[in-house]
Amino acid sequence: MIHKLKDRDSLILAGSVIGLGLILWLMALPLAALPDPIGPAATQFAEGALTTIQLTLWACFFGIVLGVLTALGKRSHLPPLRWIADLYVWIIRGTPLLLQILFFFLALPAIAPQLQLSEFWTAVIALSLNVGAYNAEVIRAGINAVPNGQVEAARSLGLSALYTFWDIVLPQAVRISLPPLANNMVALLKDSSLAYAIGVVELSMVSSRVQAESFQPVPVFITVAAIYLLLTTTFTQFAAALERKLAVGKR
Amino acid sequence: MRNGKPIIEVENVRKSWGSFTALNDVSVTFREGEVVCIIGPSGSGKSTLLRSINHLEKHDAGRITVDGILLDDDLKHIDAVRTEVGMVFQSFNLFSHMTVLDNITLAPRRVRKWSRAKAEQVALELLERVGLSAHAHKYPSQLSGGQQQRVAIARALAMQPKVMLFDEPTSALDPEMVNEVLLVMRDLAKSGMTMLIVTHEMGFAREVADRVIFFDHGQIVEESTDPQQFFSAPNHPRAQAFLKQIKHAA
Repeated sequence: MIHKLKDRDSLILAGSVIGLGLILWLMALPLAALPDPIGPAATQFAEGALTTIQLTLWACFFGIVLGVLTALGKRSHLPPLRWIADLYVWIIRGTPLLLQILFFFLALPAIAPQLQLSEFWTAVIALSLNVGAYNAEVIRAGINAVPNGQVEAARSLGLSALYTFWDIVLPQAVRISLPPLANNMVALLKDSSLAYAIGVVELSMVSSRVQAESFQPVPVFITVAAIYLLLTTTFTQFAAALERKLAVGKR
Repeated sequence: MRNGKPIIEVENVRKSWGSFTALNDVSVTFREGEVVCIIGPSGSGKSTLLRSINHLEKHDAGRITVDGILLDDDLKHIDAVRTEVGMVFQSFNLFSHMTVLDNITLAPRRVRKWSRAKAEQVALELLERVGLSAHAHKYPSQLSGGQQQRVAIARALAMQPKVMLFDEPTSALDPEMVNEVLLVMRDLAKSGMTMLIVTHEMGFAREVADRVIFFDHGQIVEESTDPQQFFSAPNHPRAQAFLKQIKHAA
């Protein structure tokens, strides 16, 4: 029974990854068959969706790394590390994401010109820092929820603090944090639309452009909404399957 | 085995939390091959002594030496002691996200740097010894309490420790599972392992102990190398009262 469930979840996991690839690769084909104004702009939509996913996956990766580091900082015995982590989360959660993106694109290069990056990587950095702050709270809660007996057992076997964290605490904390983390990732996918403010040609930017050329907001925005829904649904399916798969042994 | 060389030396150890004194100037020596049962009422300091020996609790004053290593603030010393001292907890504390086999092989691979093949071979031998060969690939949640505790014993033994600490190993078990765990511990005692056992299983203590230590209010109030004599007629009034109460409960 358990094995069957596990296999089905592995299938969904593989399926959602392959599915996402196929969606991004082949999306232009069905879109091209649609009437004006969608058909002629099919490749633009497909490329916009690809950029949206690239933004999301990069920010997702850096955001989780940042989240873990910040969660550790918040739990550190060293006060300066705690202060830095707290300050970071305080600033990011207390200011709008749009402002953060504009800040990294316009204000930072004004302070230090060598920090001028492309629109895409500026957006990745701003999104990573943003989602990292939210992830930090989620991962911290997950780490706190790992029973102390697990740590004591590991330490009593002679495992170092590092191994104890890597082999015991982190895997269990991630399992606990997975549902809220998945939530953050879906929010991130949608928040990546704000990158259009600095000229990243992602999905929302494409919709705005096509709309401006065709003056047909209804079909354009419905199409883009459908594409977003398709992408977020793939994400949530992946997260749900991952959650079930990792839940083995934790009942 | 009362003449082995000293392996754990506890000298004038104190530990308190706020106004509560868990260990009040405790001095005791444990010898190689000795099976010592530590008994006494809850909160008397028995578990704190055990947890101080592998530094899960940091003692406030006094000296603890394990196999010649002084337990101070040096992390290397602490890890070295923990490598030589196995511990079995009341609540098992198996790693819930790992299979039984991974639970047992993790520390030998990470700390002893054994290959996976060697660690698994040793793990399977130990599982056979505790009668759980068929359960190697299960997760802890799929096992009964008694089975989990036997895995926990195997996990501690996999590090080939010189001393095993048992902190009320049967207290969290349903009554019908107590015996399967005691059976494993009895075999271990026969094999010559040095064992420090905090327990409320008086029958077991009487049978396997080379020495019985009675704790009360953070101090050792009675010590006996003749368990039969101690359990039938303890000297100290507190020990008398405690054993009487236990007998009434049983």
